[in-house]
Amino acid sequence: MKSLADMSLGELAAFVWTHLHRHGINCVLTGGACVSIYTTGCYQSYDLDFVERVPSSRKRIREALVELGFFEESRYFKHPETKFFLEFPAGPLSVGSEPVKATVTLEFPTGQPALLSPTDCVKDRLAAYYHWNDQQSLEQTLLVAQSNRIDIGEVRRWSDEEGKLTEFETIKQQLLARRNRP
Amino acid sequence: MLEALFGSVNRERVLLFLYVRKEGYSREISRFFRTDLSQIQKQLERLEVGGTLYSRTLGKTRVYGLNPRYPFRVQLEALLDRALAFYPAEERERLMMIRRRPRRKGKPL
Repeated sequence: MKSLADMSLGELAAFVWTHLHRHGINCVLTGGACVSIYTTGCYQSYDLDFVERVPSSRKRIREALVELGFFEESRYFKHPETKFFLEFPAGPLSVGSEPVKATVTLEFPTGQPALLSPTDCVKDRLAAYYHWNDQQSLEQTLLVAQSNRIDIGEVRRWSDEEGKLTEFETIKQQLLARRNRP
Repeated sequence: MLEALFGSVNRERVLLFLYVRKEGYSREISRFFRTDLSQIQKQLERLEVGGTLYSRTLGKTRVYGLNPRYPFRVQLEALLDRALAFYPAEERERLMMIRRRPRRKGKPL
């Protein structure tokens, strides 16, 4: 087993997820960490956001993570051996105002964590772009679309549900152009 | 009014204020309701951690609002809207009537 210091973001996420899962804490990796994994590091996040499917107590999470050497500082869990840190944003597991219907599982040497699918990851980033006009989130969206299979029809439907169809149509060509890039 | 549901009268005040005014800061909310600043700050922080509110800084002031990405935002707003209808007319008016148009610096009244 690698030391935490040598683990990539994906390996650490898998390691932590597996440990939490053993403790009966059922969570999904979301946010910028998914972008980092799906873009194989083109975008680098240091923040591993885990959202619980069913809420458990903060104490239970803390006790499980202390076993791995993490310590709690403010709302984050840090470890002396790694620059990555963990956060457990309040649920529910959602993209915009919709619940996440299905997650995907990726295989790492340290475990098989559940995380947002590439299409939901795109929706998650687009939500930030739509609501905050955050250009970095749009760039992350395009990076994920560039190297993953994205269901554009589903993203359009979701954008419509969010009341952001006009905004989707504005960025659709960029999304398609990136998606079609070899 | 929604205290039993929200668990605290100050939490209800914060949500109602931000629903009506769209954005606000802790001192503004505590002055409006003539309540303890630290209690309002505590509720703002808790609601932000829970994802119900967002915050941003405006100069040196931290401004809060209902988080547009909160999955229950539409339902929460419907609840607050319904609750607002039960508030006394003068309280509702006080909450809604706020000068939004610009005021030139140094203008006497």
